[in-house]
Order: sequence, then structure tokens, then C-alpha cells
Amino acid sequence: MFRYIARRLLIMPVLLIGVTVLIFLMLSMLTPYERASLYVSDIPKRQGALEGIIEKYGLDDPIPVQYWHWMVGRKDEATGEIKGGVLRGDLGWSKVGKSSVSEVIGRRLPATAELALWSAIPLIGLSVWMGVIAAVNHNKLTDQILRVFAITGWSIPTFVFGLLVLMLFYARLGWFPPDRLSEWAQRIVTSGDFTRYTQLHTVDAVLNLRFDIFVDALRHLVLPVLTLSVVSWAFMLRVTRSSMLDVLRQDYMTTARAKGLAERTVIRRHAVPNALIPVITVGGLTLIGLFNGVVITETVFNFPGMGKFLADAALTLDVVSVLGVTLFSSFILVFGNLVVDVLYGVVDPRIRLE
Amino acid sequence: MKVLKRLLKNPTSLTGIVLLIAFVVIAIAAPQLAPPPENSRDAFMIPRDGFSTEPRSPSDEHMMGTTEGQYDIYYGVIWGTRTAFRIGVVITLFTTVIGLLIGAISGFYGGWVDELLMRITEIFQAFPFLLAAITLTSVLQTVYGRGDANIMVYMARLLSMVTFFQSPTAAMDPIPMQILTGMLAIIVFGWMTYARVIRGNILSITEFDYALAARTIGAGPMRILFRHLFPNAVFPVLVIASMNIGSYVLTFAALSFLGLGAQRGYADWGQMISFARNWVPSLAEHWYIVVYPGMAIVLFVLAWNLVGDALRDILDPRLTGSRA
Repeated sequence: MFRYIARRLLIMPVLLIGVTVLIFLMLSMLTPYERASLYVSDIPKRQGALEGIIEKYGLDDPIPVQYWHWMVGRKDEATGEIKGGVLRGDLGWSKVGKSSVSEVIGRRLPATAELALWSAIPLIGLSVWMGVIAAVNHNKLTDQILRVFAITGWSIPTFVFGLLVLMLFYARLGWFPPDRLSEWAQRIVTSGDFTRYTQLHTVDAVLNLRFDIFVDALRHLVLPVLTLSVVSWAFMLRVTRSSMLDVLRQDYMTTARAKGLAERTVIRRHAVPNALIPVITVGGLTLIGLFNGVVITETVFNFPGMGKFLADAALTLDVVSVLGVTLFSSFILVFGNLVVDVLYGVVDPRIRLE
Repeated sequence: MKVLKRLLKNPTSLTGIVLLIAFVVIAIAAPQLAPPPENSRDAFMIPRDGFSTEPRSPSDEHMMGTTEGQYDIYYGVIWGTRTAFRIGVVITLFTTVIGLLIGAISGFYGGWVDELLMRITEIFQAFPFLLAAITLTSVLQTVYGRGDANIMVYMARLLSMVTFFQSPTAAMDPIPMQILTGMLAIIVFGWMTYARVIRGNILSITEFDYALAARTIGAGPMRILFRHLFPNAVFPVLVIASMNIGSYVLTFAALSFLGLGAQRGYADWGQMISFARNWVPSLAEHWYIVVYPGMAIVLFVLAWNLVGDALRDILDPRLTGSRA
């Protein structure tokens, strides 16, 4: 167990460094001028100012030297101030966000987190439950219906699904609007009377005892949450189903039945816990799905999160912002995968012995 | 042959095959189904009927209506089939070759080569796929915007030869150029599943007796690799490829939807749907700007997924002939 976790922990820095190297390789395809916004917010129009900046921040240095400065920052000779440096949390200047990239990410993250949290919870419960039902009724009608549901859900592009639900529930019925809050609610939330403890509107509304705002925030969340979860939902259902089918074929299932246990108990106590092991391992993949989905979902619903920021930045080719968000997301993903791996080792003793 | 028979017997995979054949027919017959206007320079550019922004409902003249800017939706859906096949097949081709090479080298040589290649694979997998594709596309488009000659331009030339049958000496056409950047980005971040599966497969097969037997009679490593190991890896690769074509097309459509893939007015489903972003409050009346191209994507991806899913079930011996 210890060795297993130790190995995972040792690989992690390799992965993190690899990710930064890859990102920097992409950055190095840009001209020094385009890279300048890694260090400065705007380049003065004066003659020669650009050359000065390129020289000052060494944007013409050999790539490995530049990589080092990009990682740890670069000291400004005149003021003694350190600029840039991914390790210091400085990802450069965002032209689209008109502030530093890390600041924009910090500002946009709560919206994305709220969306992801609301998506993840129903997603896990429902998909596992549906997967078990499908496997227990293997090749019967229920199984076929759930299979078609899963494979269709897997085939619908997020943006098509999002636009279709908007068409029905917003344009036609007017139940669930896009954006994150209605205008009146937005005014209250940004006013001084409303304390923003967590920046998650639904949680803050409850803490402030403003249930009208809670309902409003929820109305804006229903469609994006549905859109974001549908793909991963289908995926998890399929994984649970096939893993459950595998378990149902094992000899210990026969043993359990031979002991005279009721079928219900056999499924609940012996099959489901074992079937859940592979489901945990795809947790990382689901996380990827959420990251990918967030970009599209937030764009469709005009939801002011990190994904929308990435899409806006990419459209105007604000590469420094795009790379910043991608780097940040990959770091989260690497840590998420570590958690998944450790969990896997904890629940499955066979892995530890490897 | 046995595989084909079983594919045709299963109702879900049969649906998939029928859908695929239908798409192939549409792609081949595109010039007959939706003849391009006489004076058109590029058949893939959707003809426009006027320049007003407001989409127009389906009519006798425009079977599926027109979208913003009066692009004919029917024409776009038909010619978009060709675009989807091109993109899906070419990306799959390149990713499979890259994955096969890396996976085979890794599994065959083992040791530090394996360790190194697998760590690199893991690093590429550490990125959320769509985010990585968006990032690389925006970098490539910045580079191309300047018209710099570098290695990427040569890769794009190779890609345009395969994708657009463009002569390598001809100047790069700016219209396919934008599509190529998206494809290149998807290829760079799309080969990892193949590499891992091939590696795993080769590792497990080298344990088998026939690989040992081949070695004892003095077969060289290349002979073992090509005569004994690759043929065994073909089916798993086929399954992944058929499931991945759908996801590549989806990812490219997502890039187009965000405005990074195909150019405005190009016959590409994702690009056509991106117009709908400006019409969200009135989508109830302008439903056709989402529903027709959206249906095309869903059915296309569904077809590949159905076939891939059935192939996996058939080729996975653990799933056959069991009681449960």
C-alpha cells in the first residue's frame, strides 16, 4: 500500500513538469512580441519600447533559459520587483480579462465550481443506480432501453443538447433562463447587504436566508447542470453496467446464492461494492469530461465561469490566457487523478499487492 | 466474416451500419443531392441567398431554411457529411499510426524506452482533451496568421494532401488552413489511447507460446512484431478507431462551434450550429437552425458508436456465451 502510493506521488512531479514543458513549447511557437504579455500588461506605443521589453524580460534568450524564467519569475532590474513565474502563481496578463490571468481564474472559478458540484452529485448517484439496474436485467427490455439512452447521451454533442433544452425550456416555455442570475438578483448579490461567504450563489443565498435568490440561482443552474452531466452520465452508466456484469459472473456470486441469501442481499452486499471499484477508476475520466463540458456548457448558457473565459480568450487568440487556463485545469486534473489512484488502492486490496 | 455476420444480426449494430451506409451514400451523391451553383469556386462554401441576418424558415426554395447570413441549411447538411468523413477518417488515420508506433516500440523494447514513452503518454493525457485542442488550435492559428514558415507548415501541407487532395506544390488555401489547424491539434492530443492499448496488447502477447516459438526458430524482432504481434492487435485498434471517429468529429464540431474550427460559411455542421448562439431567445421560431445540423451530427456520431459498441461486445471473449 505504502509503495503503491509512494510510486504515484513520485510520478506526480514528473507529470506536472511535463505539463509545464508542453505548455511552454506551445508558448515558444509565438513571437517574442506575442509572448510579452506574460510579463507586461500593455506595451507602450513609443518607438523602441517593444525592443526594450523583449530585452528586459529576455524574450530572445534560448528556450531553456526562458522556460526557467517563466517558471520562477524574472527580476526587474530597475525596481527590484519580480515579474512572472508560474510557481509564484503568475500566469501573465490577460488581454480579454483586462487583469492578470490568475486573478481572472480566481474570479471565475466559483461559478464553474458551483456548476460542477451540482452536476457531479446527481451524476454519480443516478448513473450508478441505473447501471446496476441495467446489469441485473441484462438483455431484458430495461437493459436495452438504458443502453440506448446511454449510447445516445454519449453521442449528443454538448452544444446541441444545450441549445435544444434552451429552445424548449427557455425560448418556448420560459422556465429556465440562461446566464447565472437574473438582473434583480445580481443587484442584490453585489450590494453590501449580501455577504458572499463562498461565492457559490446557492450556498450564499441560504446562508443569507434569501430564499428568493436561492430559487433564482437554482433556476439558472438547472439547464447547464443537466447539459453538463448528460455525457458523463451516459459514460458512468455504461461503466457501471459492464463492471456489474463482470462481477455477476464471478464464482463468489454463486457461493453467496448457495448460502441461501436472498437475491436482493446478494446484489446489494456482494455485487455492488465490488462493481464500484472500476467505477472509481473512471472518476478521473469523468473529471476530464466535466472540464471539457464546462467550456461548451458555459458558452451556450452564457454562464460567467472559467470555461466561458477560455472560449472568449481562444476566439480572440489571447494565447497567454488560454494557456494559463489550460495549465491550471491540467494541474487540477493531475491532483484529481492522484486522489482517484489512492482511493483505488484503498478500496481494492489486489492493487496494493502489485 | 463471422464478425460481420454477428454485426448484422444485432439490431443496434445493424442500425449503426445502416446509418453509416446512408451517410456514405449522401457523401458520395452530394453534387447530385445539392448541386453547387455554377459560378462557385469551392463546393464546400455554402451558397448564400441574400445577406440579411435574420434566419428564414423552411420553404420550397430552401428545404431546411436558411441560417444567419442566408446560408442554405440543406446544402450545408449534405456537404457537411463529406467534411465529417474527411475530418474523422484523416484524424483517425494519423492518430492510429502515431499510437501504433509508440505503443509498439514501448511494448516491444520495454525497459527505459517503455518507461520514457509511457511517461510522455501520461503527460499528454494529463490535459483535458478539448482544452488542449482549443489551446493548440489558437496557438497554431496565431502562428499561421503571421505566415511564418516552420515545421508546422510542413505538417499542415502533409495533412492537406491527405485531407483535401491538394498538390504539395500549390500554395496553402486559407479556407482549409483553418480546418487543418483544428485537425492538427486533435491529432497531437488524440493518439494516447492507441499507444496504451497496443502496448498492453503486445506485452500480453509476448507472454504467449507462439511468440516464444517464433523466437526459438530464429525469427528476428521485426518479423515477430509484424507477423505475429501486429495482426493480434488489429481488432482492439479497430474497436477504438470506430469509437473514436465519433469523438473526433464531436471535438472538431465543438471547435467549430466555438469559432475555432471551420470558417464561417463552410459546410461544417458545428460551424452551422454556431450561428444559433446569436438567436437563443428566439430559438422557438428559428428551431431549424439547430435541429437539422444537430440531427446530422448526432446520427453520424451515434452510427459510429453503435458499430464500435457492438464490435467491442463481439470481440471481447469474456462477454460471449455467458449466463449472466
